[in-house]
Amino acid sequence: MQPNMTMPFSNTETLPGSTIVQSHGVVTGSTVRAKNVFKDIGAGFKNIVGGELKAYTELLQESRNEALYRMCAEASQRGANAVVNVRFATSSVAGGAAELLAYGTAVTVE
Amino acid sequence: MVSFNLLWNIAVNGAWIVSLFGVLVYQPGKKKALLKREQASLISCGANALTTLSTPSKKSEIQGYTVLVANVVMSPSWIQLFGGWFRAFFGGRINTFSKLLEWARREAKQRLLEELEASDYDEVINVRFETTTLTKSKGSNDKTAGFEILIYGTAVKY
Repeated sequence: MQPNMTMPFSNTETLPGSTIVQSHGVVTGSTVRAKNVFKDIGAGFKNIVGGELKAYTELLQESRNEALYRMCAEASQRGANAVVNVRFATSSVAGGAAELLAYGTAVTVE
Repeated sequence: MVSFNLLWNIAVNGAWIVSLFGVLVYQPGKKKALLKREQASLISCGANALTTLSTPSKKSEIQGYTVLVANVVMSPSWIQLFGGWFRAFFGGRINTFSKLLEWARREAKQRLLEELEASDYDEVINVRFETTTLTKSKGSNDKTAGFEILIYGTAVKY
């Protein structure tokens, strides 16, 4: 999966080929999502044999994109034009739902 | 007329047999397929395509970069869950789970490598792993349990 965002971002401390001139602080984007109950039941059946639960893989992929999108939106609100040192964190908050968090430092680069 | 109890017993016992099939046939098959994919990408991208260092390995100028993300959600089978629960009672190394986690991590890494192959980037730097447990409901006897392995890094093009 290659997230398609308007703003350049990277999980390294600098952006290759450009210099950071101003920092705008930490920006975060998070989303809590759940799959529908039928997919949950399907995953329950898949759980008998073990192995990959494709429905959940897709769910987390989509939601991570959403979290990244929100992070970039917040960064552009602050007047930044890039996000560096992006990190991801995931936690399951309730049955079948997961919170996806993406955070990084909003910067102005030249 | 067949009683409901009998049908229920058949369903539950059948599920355990299916679970045994999963451990003995389905999962080893998937692992064997993964090994073939790993060998194929070892030939095409080499062993140094992924690195946890934050700087590129080559000194030449970087043309472009993007963040690549790959993830996989794996779940232990009923038998493995039961075995793990049984083992955790006495403590010590839980072999079924450690094998499963290792498999999931290899799978995630392989997916990142395949994304790298599909794109026109040369190397992934600053690779990070994250592990999360996913449960359908907490503290009940609900058997659905899985864990997510996330791997991400910055792909660079020379």
